Amino acid sequence: MNRRGLVGALAAAVALAVVPKKTRAEPQKKIRPPGALPRGAFEQACIGCFRCAEVCPTKVIRFPSVLSLDTATPFLDMADRACVLCMKCTQVCPTDALVELKVESEVIAREVRMGVPKLNRAACLPWTGRGICRLCYQVCPYPDRAVEVVGPQKAPLFHVEACVGCGLCEEACPETARAITIEPLP
Amino acid sequence: MKRALQPFDITLRHGKRYQALRRLFLGFSVLLTVGLPMWHLHALEIEGAGRAADSRWSTLARFLPDTPPPFFGAPTSVWVWFFDLVDPLETLATALFRGFSWNLVWTVLPGVVLVVALGRFFCGWACPYLPVLAAANAARWLLSRLGIPTADVKLPRVTSRVVLVGVLLVGSMLGVQLVPLVYPPAIIGREAFRAVFYGSLGAGGLLVAAAFVFDTFVSRAGFCRSLCPGGAMFSVLGSVSPVRVVNERSKCTDCTVCDVICNLGQSPMTNALDSGCERCGKCIASCPTKALSFKIVFPGGKS
Repeated sequence: MNRRGLVGALAAAVALAVVPKKTRAEPQKKIRPPGALPRGAFEQACIGCFRCAEVCPTKVIRFPSVLSLDTATPFLDMADRACVLCMKCTQVCPTDALVELKVESEVIAREVRMGVPKLNRAACLPWTGRGICRLCYQVCPYPDRAVEVVGPQKAPLFHVEACVGCGLCEEACPETARAITIEPLP
Repeated sequence: MKRALQPFDITLRHGKRYQALRRLFLGFSVLLTVGLPMWHLHALEIEGAGRAADSRWSTLARFLPDTPPPFFGAPTSVWVWFFDLVDPLETLATALFRGFSWNLVWTVLPGVVLVVALGRFFCGWACPYLPVLAAANAARWLLSRLGIPTADVKLPRVTSRVVLVGVLLVGSMLGVQLVPLVYPPAIIGREAFRAVFYGSLGAGGLLVAAAFVFDTFVSRAGFCRSLCPGGAMFSVLGSVSPVRVVNERSKCTDCTVCDVICNLGQSPMTNALDSGCERCGKCIASCPTKALSFKIVFPGGKS
């Protein structure tokens, strides 16, 4: 590298070091794939190479199509799909924006927090006395920990602290209810 | 008025095997860009786990093998059997935020070794923007045949380096990863993936379209030459490459054909090539007197 290049590189390094963190934009709240770094760090580490979406067996990992600063970062579209916790996406990420995780129930329960479940009791079948549904409980990979059923009609009760946010319950919730949504981490 | 000589007017006389190899490699790269997502989608459908059946590409992908491909991602970050080929610029952009990590070193190392050895070869051999550039050059030629003038602004050589530093700097100021948003191979790869998987294009196509318009009307190969941050990165890394085009001045007739055919504004005729050379070999192929050839020249030494 010639002298001009070296001076330029040094100037850039100095500028990078003194740039105040305050200028940084607040990243949008989105549901990110499992093993993702915390918000902010993830958007900076991801190079948008779409390997995670390429290997996702349920195609729940998607890329936004609108023009925005995070148009190159993956998010989970849980409207009609869910994550099956295969952890393939964490294994193919080249920059460790998704930290590699083993496909072990306890590891996933400890490390993965994709989103938080929100139950609209006014729409839920058991909570409104319209039946004993239990679908969310049946599909939950962590029954009795992330969701338990209470009362004579087996109404679901979510425990946010134990939920990985895979969205299987949102996908399973009957058309007539649609009471569960997975929301991005606060 | 006499029309200025254009690259499309020049016939490639020899070095045909080199050009065939280059086009084969480029074709393979472009094929991977579109074909890999198709193969992955097909493998997912065969696995039957997802709701992949809603894809409009399922019929087209049927001829692909049923097992998942041994490659992931294309073209700026490819996993090939057991090693990573990740773009040096994207790795640097990540490292600026994340700091040093051995994992990043291993992912970028094979690519860096290739570029240090062969120079800025990616731009001439593998970049999926090249078909767009060829279309822009064809459009320039057509416009000149029709008598419609097109500008060829030559921005100073340092522009691409300024863009490179600027993209990294602005990105770190905003705290967002800008490189995948402005780097054509990354954009084209993502849009190809999106087209295959979702059947739609995203906003990234706008920048590629803008680059096409820029290359057609404002500056020939101007994006690659003076705006692409990835090209600048490859130039910096590849400046030590010993593979160089050398002009045997005794055979040269100063016909300027090589200078005209070069997309990147190099001057093989006067032996004034710098790290911007993409090793496409078209100057060698176009030379009527075989004065040009690749030589191994180590910095500061003779071949």
